Amino acid sequence: MMDFGFKISPSSAINLDNADLSLYDELCKAEPDICKCMACGSCSAACPANRFSGMSVRKLIIDLQRGKKKEAVKMLSDCMLCGKCTMVCPRGINTRHLILSICKLYKED
Amino acid sequence: MKENILIIGGGIAGLEAAAQLLKLGYNPIIVEKSDHLGGHVAEWNRLFPDMTPAEDVVSRLIAGAGEANIFLNTGISFVNRLKDSYNIMLSNGISVITRILLFATGFTLFDAAKKEEYGYGVYNQVMTNMDLERWFNTGNDERIPEEGPKTMGFVHCVGSRDEKARNPQCSKVCCITAVKQAIEMKQKFPDAMIYCFYMDLRMFGKKYEDFYISAQRDYGIRFIRGRVSEVSENIEGRLVVKAEDTLSGKPVKVTMDLLVLMAGIVCNPDTCRTAGLVSLPVDSDGFLKSRDNIADITESPKEGIFYAGTCTGPKTVPETLAEARSAALAIHNYIQGLK
Amino acid sequence: MIGMIFILSYCLIGLVRIILQLPKEDRKRFFMSLVNPKTMAKNIRDIFCDCLFHVKLWKRNKLLGYMHSSIAFGWFMLIVIGHIEVLLYTPHRAKLFYFPIFFRYFVAETESTMRGAFFFFLMDFFLLMVLSGIFLAMFKRLQSRLFGMRRTTNPSFLDLVGLYSLWAIFPLRLLAEGFTADISGGSFLTKSLNYVLNSFLSDHTNMLPAWWAYSCALGVFFIVLPFTRYMHIPTEILLIPLRNAGIKIRNARKGFAKAEVYSCPSCGLCIDACPMGVMKTHIKDTTVYLNRQIRRNNERRIEEISDKCLLCGKCSAICPVGVEGDKLRIAQRSLRKYSVNPDYADISSDALSVHAEGKVLYYAGCMTALTPVIRKSMESILKKAGIAYELMDRDGGICCGRPMMMAGRFDQAREMIERNTRIIKDSGATTLLLTCPICYRIFKEKYHLDGIEIIHHTEYIDRLVRSGSLKISRDDRKYVYHDPCELGRGCGIYEQPREVLSCAGELVEAAKNRKESICCGGSLGSLTLGFDKRKAMTENALANLTVAAPDVIVTACPLCRSTFNRYADLPVEDIAETIDKKCV
Repeated sequence: MMDFGFKISPSSAINLDNADLSLYDELCKAEPDICKCMACGSCSAACPANRFSGMSVRKLIIDLQRGKKKEAVKMLSDCMLCGKCTMVCPRGINTRHLILSICKLYKED
Repeated sequence: MKENILIIGGGIAGLEAAAQLLKLGYNPIIVEKSDHLGGHVAEWNRLFPDMTPAEDVVSRLIAGAGEANIFLNTGISFVNRLKDSYNIMLSNGISVITRILLFATGFTLFDAAKKEEYGYGVYNQVMTNMDLERWFNTGNDERIPEEGPKTMGFVHCVGSRDEKARNPQCSKVCCITAVKQAIEMKQKFPDAMIYCFYMDLRMFGKKYEDFYISAQRDYGIRFIRGRVSEVSENIEGRLVVKAEDTLSGKPVKVTMDLLVLMAGIVCNPDTCRTAGLVSLPVDSDGFLKSRDNIADITESPKEGIFYAGTCTGPKTVPETLAEARSAALAIHNYIQGLK
Repeated sequence: MIGMIFILSYCLIGLVRIILQLPKEDRKRFFMSLVNPKTMAKNIRDIFCDCLFHVKLWKRNKLLGYMHSSIAFGWFMLIVIGHIEVLLYTPHRAKLFYFPIFFRYFVAETESTMRGAFFFFLMDFFLLMVLSGIFLAMFKRLQSRLFGMRRTTNPSFLDLVGLYSLWAIFPLRLLAEGFTADISGGSFLTKSLNYVLNSFLSDHTNMLPAWWAYSCALGVFFIVLPFTRYMHIPTEILLIPLRNAGIKIRNARKGFAKAEVYSCPSCGLCIDACPMGVMKTHIKDTTVYLNRQIRRNNERRIEEISDKCLLCGKCSAICPVGVEGDKLRIAQRSLRKYSVNPDYADISSDALSVHAEGKVLYYAGCMTALTPVIRKSMESILKKAGIAYELMDRDGGICCGRPMMMAGRFDQAREMIERNTRIIKDSGATTLLLTCPICYRIFKEKYHLDGIEIIHHTEYIDRLVRSGSLKISRDDRKYVYHDPCELGRGCGIYEQPREVLSCAGELVEAAKNRKESICCGGSLGSLTLGFDKRKAMTENALANLTVAAPDVIVTACPLCRSTFNRYADLPVEDIAETIDKKCV
């Protein structure tokens, strides 16, 4: 290979054209409320597992929307299903059931 | 004989409408349930974006409506529908016969104690936007330390855009009010560190964006995009405010001496009661329903009943005044049409 | 005849299957309990009280109780006396079990003897009793409200077949015995019917179709029985000794759970009890329908019903046969398969460790963090009473595990329990104080803290007041106490909070209270009920609380407090708040 003096590294940008959102679409069918999230962050701030695994329902939703499944699933590892996120959500999203649905649909690596 | 027009509510909308109706040659009668005119604005200190003293605005409006019949501390007991007019019994025993009713009943500030997680009424350092304005006016509030707070915060959207608080609507004016109050606090206490916790900043009005820029640049107010989820107390009795800084994706924790809750605008329960007397419909947002939300915002679906101001939804002061004038004109045209 | 053989063999197979499905230690425990004279006596007493006399139903509604006990006890006595008669008159036939049923058909007896007259009278008396019960049952179909039931179950087709054949049995028996009363004897009822019949039908051949119809109705009833709700009659007899043996649900569908499902009489008492019932759309999500769907193996509906439930436990509390609707549902939830499984091994314990040697350790819990007033008031009470305490989760901690348990994910819940247990044991505390009933319940039921006392703040405040460490000033306000589901029905704590509140002011009661208190609607138990669906339930619960026109609503659960506070016109307080304001 020729040396051009620079390397092409994989882009850190999210390419929505290539993102595999088939699971997300399925999730949307089971949890239509997921689209209501306005990313206020109440869930993350209230979450007792946040300090352990960075668990954040807000980030979870964004990651899944962007096709970043791996990051999303990793966050769930310390979720205690305590329901605080559901209590504080100003949009009334049933985050607790959303988490269970994600646990059902997505796979751990 | 001048035509009677009953205006329910002696806030800025009612006063401005009365002034206009006087000029058009009618006899407006203002019924106000509290002991003062000017409504919420009369209790405010200064108004955004030019820091106009609220007192000036209100006193000008009161002067304009001076010749109207005004009943303070008065409510509406019941309404009889006559053939083409209304017979209205006031709580002071006076009855008024009128063809026109103008609802200028205004709003209520959301009861911040209902958002339990913010600890209003529980912690000594938590107050509302209203409490702060009162302090600007009177200088009396034991929640604010003499030497000023070292660190303080404003929580936007308390009881607005919140289904849990039963009010999914945006209250429209709190963003700019928080910016205004933050600037005022910084002017009073230049050493204080001031945070604003917001979900979205809605700087839609004339000069609002400038105001926001000034808050950032000239006053160093820090804006954190994240809704406060919990407020607790540390061992020294200072507040610990928890939110997520959604822009960095990390939880933030700030220790504070003062927290101001920007209580939102919700429909006045008395408005709904009075509206019920003449069976006016309530819209899905909890405010009174207009005939049309674009073309006829000041007209109710019922003949002879008009609206002005925040009884149909959150509005700023200039919007309310403009609407009051527009309502007066709509009333005038309606009466002309009857002849 | 065929029906009888069928049902007996069916029951026997069912019995053996259920017993085989029990885990080994449970089976052993069950058999041991059967030979234990104490539980044996309890079994017999419970079977008589519940299956024959329906004591629980009597307590609920007299008409309903009479209807059930007249049919059950009357029928039982008809069978017993029938057998006695056979033994007395034709002992050689006693081995044929069908003989006593059709005794009047086979035997021509006279009532010349005193003995005969006595038995004939008894037989007629109990027949009348059963008939009155059947009549009430028919009436109940039309007017269930008189029986204290606003809504009843929608019967399935086979249920209807069973129901009509049951209704038909006894009038037909009366008719048949009426025809033969002059040959085989009878008493006030059958004899007089016989005179009436004889007046226009003198032919004895009429008796044959009547007896046939009677035996057909009986046959149909017993053949359809296993597929209808009437299966509860034999199953309940098994359920009672199983329950008395202390056996719990371990498998969602097998063993004890199966016994419970088949013991459900589909009476529908749980429909009126269910807090979701305020909305018509939820009626088919009540425990009766869960049991029906489990019998039918309708997986989609089972999942739907079990996930929606608030787990308030009221259906279990009022169920006349003791079906545990909430536990059954949790068991169904535990069947779900998840591909992502949280695991808390990586949580470092150092950050969470507390030192509370010899002190009270106060675990506020996740929900209390959202209602800081409870924590603040509780801390203030502890300070006023001079109690040395330490907070376990000032900066948040590990959840108690109950919400995870409710979702049916037992392994995860167990892990959290282990983590918390270690933190608590290492703290050196002597008492663990909780202000949240959700936490309290799981700490009581699943934690083993050897020697560390687990106490809910209602109990603790009551103790402080009794011991004089806390002085409460009285006022003349009226307080109504709402029993949180997890504290009341879950842990049986009803009296302590009431004791405390009656020191603070006048205590009034809600229309439905204690065991029958109505869930606030905010429960974590429901997995699928969205926020917008719960409003009607909360408003219904509030209406129930305010019947006695209280000034303040007091509860002892952070979740109930915030749920009520959202919709109530009255002030809503936690008991800690109320007491903190009133004590000096």
